[in-house]
Amino acid sequence: MSDVFEKCRSWKDYRIAKATGLYPYYRAIEESYGATEVQIEGRRIIMVGSNNYLGLSADPRVKEAAIKAVERYGTTCSGSRLLNGTLALHEELEQRLAKFLNREAAVVISTGFQTNLALSSILGRHDIVFADRQNHASLVDGIRLSFATERKFRHNDLEHLEQLLQQAAEKEPKAGKIIITDGVFSMEGDVCNLPRIVELAQKYGARVMTDDAHAMGVLGEKGRGTSEYFGLEKETDLVMGTFSKSFASLGGVLAGPSDVINYIRHKSRSVIFSASMTPASIASALKALEIIEAEPQRRARLLDIAEKMHNGFRAMGFDTGVSVTPVVPVHIGDQVKCFRFWKALHEAGVFANPVIPPAVEAGHALIRTSYMATHTDEQLDRVLDIFEQIGKKMDVIPQTRPSTYTPVQIARPGTMVRNNKASEKWAAASEGHNSHNGFTLDQLSRMSSREVAGRLFDAVETLTWRAANLQPEDIRKLGQMPMKLWEKRANIPGILLEKGANFFIRNGHEDRS
Amino acid sequence: MAAAAEMQNTDSKQPPLPSDVEVTPVRSSADRTAFIRLTYSIYEGDPNFVPHLEMERRDFMDPKKHPFFEFGEVEFFLARRAGKTVGRIAAVSNPRYNEFQGTNVGFFGLFECVNDAGVARALFEKAAEWLRAKGFTSVIGPMSYSTNGEVGLLIEGFNTPPAIMTTYNPSWYAALIEANGFTKAKDLYAWELSSSTPPPEKVARIAEKIRQREGVTVRPVNLKDFDAEVARVKTMYNSAWEKNWGFVPMTEGEFDHLARDLKQMVRPELALVAEVKGEPVGFALTIPDANEAIKAANGRLTTFGLPIGLAKLLLATRRIRRLRLVLLGTVEGYRRRGLDAILYLDTLNKARELGYEGGEISWTLEDNHLVNRAIESMGGKQSKRYRVYEKPL
Repeated sequence: MSDVFEKCRSWKDYRIAKATGLYPYYRAIEESYGATEVQIEGRRIIMVGSNNYLGLSADPRVKEAAIKAVERYGTTCSGSRLLNGTLALHEELEQRLAKFLNREAAVVISTGFQTNLALSSILGRHDIVFADRQNHASLVDGIRLSFATERKFRHNDLEHLEQLLQQAAEKEPKAGKIIITDGVFSMEGDVCNLPRIVELAQKYGARVMTDDAHAMGVLGEKGRGTSEYFGLEKETDLVMGTFSKSFASLGGVLAGPSDVINYIRHKSRSVIFSASMTPASIASALKALEIIEAEPQRRARLLDIAEKMHNGFRAMGFDTGVSVTPVVPVHIGDQVKCFRFWKALHEAGVFANPVIPPAVEAGHALIRTSYMATHTDEQLDRVLDIFEQIGKKMDVIPQTRPSTYTPVQIARPGTMVRNNKASEKWAAASEGHNSHNGFTLDQLSRMSSREVAGRLFDAVETLTWRAANLQPEDIRKLGQMPMKLWEKRANIPGILLEKGANFFIRNGHEDRS
Repeated sequence: MAAAAEMQNTDSKQPPLPSDVEVTPVRSSADRTAFIRLTYSIYEGDPNFVPHLEMERRDFMDPKKHPFFEFGEVEFFLARRAGKTVGRIAAVSNPRYNEFQGTNVGFFGLFECVNDAGVARALFEKAAEWLRAKGFTSVIGPMSYSTNGEVGLLIEGFNTPPAIMTTYNPSWYAALIEANGFTKAKDLYAWELSSSTPPPEKVARIAEKIRQREGVTVRPVNLKDFDAEVARVKTMYNSAWEKNWGFVPMTEGEFDHLARDLKQMVRPELALVAEVKGEPVGFALTIPDANEAIKAANGRLTTFGLPIGLAKLLLATRRIRRLRLVLLGTVEGYRRRGLDAILYLDTLNKARELGYEGGEISWTLEDNHLVNRAIESMGGKQSKRYRVYEKPL
């Protein structure tokens, strides 16, 4: 009989990360200085790993609204929206959001994650959901909770989506269909191809829903998100947003036709069996909405910052991939190197997030940075400087800056850009085409001794060939090796660590399969 | 384009496409090994086949190692039947060639195939597909990867092994390629010249006369000043060959790479520079035919980790009795003035002095009558014929 807890005890990755000092998660923030800087372990560092895009969480007006709400209604609603947990404030926020988003109705739900789970109530047994493969985990779970059939299409590959729609139209013509996609993809920062999605939806009679968690307050003239940005608000049936990003609060919203929203209010378990948003959360979201509507200059500043950072990174030789938004991913490649990079950033005074498989493809580990409209230029320049130093030290970027780079296109209102052309390195990595070097102990044990000997002899052959081809300049370089090693001595433990950790991770994964 | 491809597919003259053959691009290192080692099964029992050193081929296919990849692109394909490798081909995009020649052609190269026109067709179609996608309108080859590399398919002269840096192939390849709709683009000649007899007296007399009249001095290359010599030869090479069919000037990287390879083989006495008043005006490069030694290694420097191949190679190197005249050129303004005769003559005399039996002069263009006549007058006999094929895409 196997023990349920066995998998927890035998889980290696965490122990490897802890033992090597590269564990990057659950960092406790001790102080916040206007959200752009925080104190961790007694040190003050610049925060570029938060989704507080407009910097409103530190805005005195928002704080004051929250305090007033606590004074008036207390700290919690102590119950579900359905029963005792609805305040007049909840209804006010719903009405204001419906108006802001140009929708018939809206429902606010306790967290963004639960908001997507609430979708499961409208996805019935005979419905088919078409979902982008890089959709946020909450969408994945929301769909999984439902009884509907899920068809995933390759990220932003609308030919693939059309194939799936066509198949569905042939095989299950009576099924209800809905296409669900992130508006702005949270890890790579690109925007969905909504115009084409809408076209396909109309051709095949499907509904469209966008998850605008990272788009609301950021994209579009008025900040209403992806559908406003593309001028397709009428064609997008359902819009989802969260309050934990631009809205400086906690919670989520679904907006759309009033009968759909009403159904969700009464049928979704994540709504009716969950305590409602706290008074403080509601009040701060309301105040943030007010500011979002009144101060478009914050959005403009945010996009300016995004452009500055993208181009700053690119000029140094970093790869920021397909992103056109204030989500600025920096390609590192190897996941252990990514952790080392993150740690070096942390020590130098920058808080950013390492993103590793399975959130991205193997070999495409990246450092995700995201910015606030309230970051100062000095802070941003400091972040760029630190990235450059570490990038050079870890050989992520060349020692001298490349002579040219392709400047980024930012998703400003009216431009309709969806993504930047990915570099070949980025494209290959993000599709998972990576040469996997090395082999695992397990593979080695399965090889016949002939194969092992063959590999060994091939290695000898290679060495002999290299030795036979040594040129005077190669010999000079060999002579300089000790010097180079000495210069790079600080980096050697890191490299050994990387190789060692990779070896263990590789062999750890083999056990499970 | 698609319609044209459709028509080609239904062309009744073409061999049928075998259903059990799978052609895939080379992706893994195992694929690369299969690509390189395919030659062993194709040439099994062929006494004239000289296998490349496997490592040399690996470097040749490695974008990080070979200078061609600084500007060009190559996709390698493998044909497999029931898991067994039965053919290979490289599709080559050489933008410098098209730029210099004003054409829009892609190349194929490194072609090897079992004697089965269907497999060949599957390979050619895959390569054509890749080249078409790049926007090329026709394909020429074999060419690995440019006219400065290994060129042409051997169609005459199968009875002797190939000289160093020339190609060799089974006699049936011509039929395979022609069955797939390729036609002749250009023939190249290789010449055999014996150094057991002294050069014809008439030629010697004329050469001496010109030497006096023009004030030509011929000196061996100075290996101690290798870089400067390479630079001099490079300028001459790029201007001497400029008007030739298919010529593309070599890039710095390509020339340095070639010079580095040659430096290991070259004997300075046989690398001659002709000068007039201290200005270099022509050069002739003859190298020992290292293929005799490479053949002894049979593709690998080591066996079971022991440097057996390397030892054989080094031993055989000392016994090389043949030469290959690789390059002979004169700068503009010194053509048709007999400078080449002087270089031929001095090379031949030097070869006799060093005790070589003879060697190959290759390659020359079939319609470069001036050069071909000069070689004939020295007593050269045409020994091999290579063909470059072409086909619209």
